[in-house]
Amino acid sequence: MELINANPVIHEKRERRIRQAPENIDENAPEAIDQLEIFDHIRDIKDPEHPYSLEDLNVVNEDSVEINDELSHVRVTFTPTVEHCSMATIIGLCLRVKLMRSLPPRYKVDIRLTPGSHATEAAVNKQLSDKERVAAALENSNLLDIVEECLSPTLG
Amino acid sequence: MAKVPAGEWVPHVEAFVDVSRSPAQHSAGVDALAALVNKDKLTLFDLVSKMDMYLTTTDHIVRARGILLLGQIMSHISFKWLDVNAITTLSDFFISRLSDWQALRGALVGCLALLHRKSSVGTIMVADVKRLVEAFIADVQVQSLAAADRKMCFEIFSWILDHYPEAVKTMDDELLYWICQSIDEEKDPECLKLSFHVVEVVMKLFPDPSGIADQFASDLFEILSKYFPVYFTHGAGDNLGVTRDELSRALMHAFCTSPYFEPFAIPLLLDKLSSDLPLAKLDSLKYLDNCIHCYGADRMVTHASAIWFKLKEVLFSLSSDQLLSSGSPKDAENNKNQIISEAEHCLKTAVTYIHSSDRDIFINLILLDEDIVNNIHSVTTEENSIGSSLQALGSVVSILAGSSTYLCTRVFQAHFKRLVDILGNSAGFDSQHLSIANGSSPASINYGALYLSVQMLSSCREVAVASREGVPAEESWWLILEEKLDQIIHLFGKLLTIDSQPTQSAVRKECISFAVKGLLILATIPEQCSLLLENAYENILLMLTLVITSKYENAHLWRLSLKTLTSIGSSAVELHASKREMVYNRIVVDKIIRLAESCDASMPLNLRLEACFEVGTASVNYMLRVARSLEETVITNISQVNGSIECADYVTCLIDFYSSRLLPWFFTSGGLNELALSFALRLWDEIGDLVTLDRIISQGLLDSLMMGMKLLVRVCTEEQQSLIVQKACGIVSSMLSLPVKALTRHLLSVDELVPAHSVQDTALVCMLSSVIVGLWPQTPVPEMMMMINLFSVFLLNGHIPAAHALASIFNKYLQNSEFSHEIKLDKILDVILGGCFSIVLPSSNLKMSCSPAATLDNANFSDSLPGSIGSKIDILCGLAWIGKGLLMRGDEKVKEISLFLLKCLSSDASLATAAADAFHVMMGDSEVCLNKKFHARIKFLYKQRFFSILMPIFLSKLKETSELTTKLVIYRAFGHIITNAPVSAVITEAHQILLVMIDILAKLSVDIQDKDLVYSLLLVLSGMLMDEKGKECIVENIRIIISVLAQLVSYPHMMVVRETALQCFVAMSSFPHSKVYRMRSQVLQAAIKALDDKKRAVRQEAVRCRQTWQSSFA
Repeated sequence: MELINANPVIHEKRERRIRQAPENIDENAPEAIDQLEIFDHIRDIKDPEHPYSLEDLNVVNEDSVEINDELSHVRVTFTPTVEHCSMATIIGLCLRVKLMRSLPPRYKVDIRLTPGSHATEAAVNKQLSDKERVAAALENSNLLDIVEECLSPTLG
Repeated sequence: MAKVPAGEWVPHVEAFVDVSRSPAQHSAGVDALAALVNKDKLTLFDLVSKMDMYLTTTDHIVRARGILLLGQIMSHISFKWLDVNAITTLSDFFISRLSDWQALRGALVGCLALLHRKSSVGTIMVADVKRLVEAFIADVQVQSLAAADRKMCFEIFSWILDHYPEAVKTMDDELLYWICQSIDEEKDPECLKLSFHVVEVVMKLFPDPSGIADQFASDLFEILSKYFPVYFTHGAGDNLGVTRDELSRALMHAFCTSPYFEPFAIPLLLDKLSSDLPLAKLDSLKYLDNCIHCYGADRMVTHASAIWFKLKEVLFSLSSDQLLSSGSPKDAENNKNQIISEAEHCLKTAVTYIHSSDRDIFINLILLDEDIVNNIHSVTTEENSIGSSLQALGSVVSILAGSSTYLCTRVFQAHFKRLVDILGNSAGFDSQHLSIANGSSPASINYGALYLSVQMLSSCREVAVASREGVPAEESWWLILEEKLDQIIHLFGKLLTIDSQPTQSAVRKECISFAVKGLLILATIPEQCSLLLENAYENILLMLTLVITSKYENAHLWRLSLKTLTSIGSSAVELHASKREMVYNRIVVDKIIRLAESCDASMPLNLRLEACFEVGTASVNYMLRVARSLEETVITNISQVNGSIECADYVTCLIDFYSSRLLPWFFTSGGLNELALSFALRLWDEIGDLVTLDRIISQGLLDSLMMGMKLLVRVCTEEQQSLIVQKACGIVSSMLSLPVKALTRHLLSVDELVPAHSVQDTALVCMLSSVIVGLWPQTPVPEMMMMINLFSVFLLNGHIPAAHALASIFNKYLQNSEFSHEIKLDKILDVILGGCFSIVLPSSNLKMSCSPAATLDNANFSDSLPGSIGSKIDILCGLAWIGKGLLMRGDEKVKEISLFLLKCLSSDASLATAAADAFHVMMGDSEVCLNKKFHARIKFLYKQRFFSILMPIFLSKLKETSELTTKLVIYRAFGHIITNAPVSAVITEAHQILLVMIDILAKLSVDIQDKDLVYSLLLVLSGMLMDEKGKECIVENIRIIISVLAQLVSYPHMMVVRETALQCFVAMSSFPHSKVYRMRSQVLQAAIKALDDKKRAVRQEAVRCRQTWQSSFA
């Protein structure tokens, strides 16, 4: 099979922001879920067709995560490497599955394409936010295998 | 020796000759025959005469087996003495067999065995060796043989060349011709390694200029050159017996063996240097380096320019993507760095070795090289050009200048002045601008010029250190440096002072590092080279000291300068430059010490102290000055304090610093001597003054003084310690408000005790106890009776430091001549314990004490001293300390204490809790006293033993108890025992206590006060999870364990407990599926709940836990 994007541009990783050891060692001080934490969950997801991470390919970056912990809402906007990329739905599915597994059930997860980054943007967005279609996709064992493989590097 | 009849050994021969038998039978036959020969039960003569037919038959196969048998027997009897006749006969035989190509193997084995014989057991004669070589040349066609035979041929040859060179020395070109023929087209690695060795040795045997080696050099080299660079296609797993590196090294030695190879080798190596294979480049450089050594300057001179051009190419224009590499970019980078460092090494060798007729040859080549000239020009004009070309240039310049005084001078003549001038101009450092140069807008510094000049300075220092010939001759680098010295020091200093803002760019930081490095180099050029430098030396020290005292906000610069000052100081000491040491003492040490001497200064105290320590590390003398000054400061501040809280904090810091940094340093590097002793005695002098004592107490200095005193006493020798104890005893007994006289005579019974003490008395006892805690067991102690009485009085009033002292006394069995302590100390202990027991539990009719005296005491004091509950708890804690002392030494009396504590567990609530915590004191490790640092006697495995004694007692006690509160207390006590015992000991008892442990975890997780204990128990459980036996036990009880852990996942009081519980779950996911699948939903529920934990670490662990449990059961 021919690759959709045979020669993706590898972006230099921004230096990982190392979290400072929490200054407040108070046992009860809450540490809210924040942008970096969400990004840490998804940065190492492998691209479906290359051995690079989504971060390497600049499909997601820290700024593509919007989060509101109080309203339990998170939105991830991702940018496929090429406009006609048919892998966009798979990438979106990986992002959704990863976040579903990593966030408490109270969260509503919203996965979107960056506006103007894809030829069939509206269709993909619709597909990704349709719960039943996501559930149906995960029933498909081939698809699930691909997703699991892409997620495997995130469990360091 | 009786001979064995032929009938017994001949079958062995027949077995060997019969090719249809198995190899095992063959070798058994050889072994049996060799053993017979070795034991003299069979003579060689008999053997050979019986074998006659096998050795001479016309059947090739049988003959080959026969000869091989004889050869193998020969190699088995290499330690048996043989006479000349036997050896000559045998060697005649084997040499003659060399022409028998069908049966060659046996002849080769035999020859090799003969050659290997040591002279003490009879060796082959040189004339025979010569015949052997001739026979070889005439009859053996090495390349037509199988690999094993070839290997043997090469072994024979290299053995002859190594051990019988006189046999071959007189031979003519036939030998070399034969060798050429034999090694040509060889491909087996083991044979190759041997053949390279043969070439190496044979070329060395014929060194004469018009000899045959010269004629054959070209032919031999042609054969050798085919193998360069050695390249293995085999993987690492193939067992070849030889590695690539070994083979390559053997080939290199062959290359270097004779200067006659030079006309062929050097062009080949230079040619291969242009290869894209990293391996070829690396090997070429290594070979070249060795060849330059071996061929000699005269021959190498002709290649000088070619070598330089090739090396220049590597150094300046090698980039990692040029190299063919299968590995990652990191590998390529690694290869590149290796190649560059090898090239630098090679250049250094070339510069050092090739200068026979014309010592300017390399310097002219390099300095006048157009590329170099252009390069220097461009890096010094472009600002901030940090690149590989600058680095390459720097290394070429420093290699060149660092090779000899002459070369250094030439390099300095050519460039140094100009570089300094450029540096001066670049940043507007001209003298007229100096005053207005400030941190806000410094012009950019010429990085290239700075880098190159520091490189030059470093190589001139190298030269100076290497030559050590006093002041260099005229016209040397020194004069040039001297001329520019003031200017360059000034420039470096300006770089340090110009930057005051703490945040800087990376380039800025680099610049500062180089400036500081430059100063370091200048200050460490050996004294004899630079008599004129004294002034400059002072200047440098002043500059750096100024940075330390005033520029502490700039952490990078500050640390760098401090390190540099330390290195300058230690180099002065190492070089025995006494004058410099004086200057250093005057300028640096004085100033830095003064930093720590005042209580209020703008500079943070920890930095001031660190500066003192770092400067002190340069030499013991400096450190002694630092120590004395700190001591003085502490004493002054204690004796005449103005009373402010900051000042007390300051003294606390000083004491902590002294005992935690200085004392360990002195302890490891020597020079402690009287230091600790005098400090301790002076402290006691101060304590002896009532006013000072009051002040110490009111300012809360007592704790740090106690710790300081312990550490001071600990490092003293026994004699010094006994001096301190004497002084302390004297002062304490003169100042106490208690009737000291009464204390000295006999052991007080408890009703004589004085109930209340003043604050001063308590402080004095604290300090005295600190002295006791730090003593060696062998130190003689005066006034033992008085002290024991004193401490007992305070212990019974609930004073813990007194308990520490008593625990140390009973643990160490301190020395005293007053009484034979073996018996008496025990009795005293009984009385003290009895006293404690009856105060704590007056109502119970305990019969704890064994001695009648103690029971008597028990009877009559119980109602006289009621004792508040608070002091009872303290006494229990004190008892635990004494128990710990006894336990560590392995004293049986510890049983009494633990039984008493167990009894207390069932008394009223607060006392029972204290008793439970007492077990923690007994089993836990402590920093305060009774540890290795304070010379405690520690019996091997004492914790394990205590654990196994107490475990059954606790288990049965738990069974008996039904009341909940008591059960909780017992749980707590047992929890302390389990968590402090070695995990391996707990695991061996896992089947008995696992369920109890889980129960403890579940019950204790209610109360916030038990959180540390819960965590420790959880750690024990996770330790079990790592162990096979522990795992088995856990699997058996998996259901209950998982439900308790699931509760702990939401443990509210401690984050690490939640995290560890989740980690345990992760570890359990690898358990057999059939055992855990039913608990899956419970674990997942707990993990999903933890996804919303308020702490991030727990959430991360929850994600992992959820993932592993979800996927392993998918």
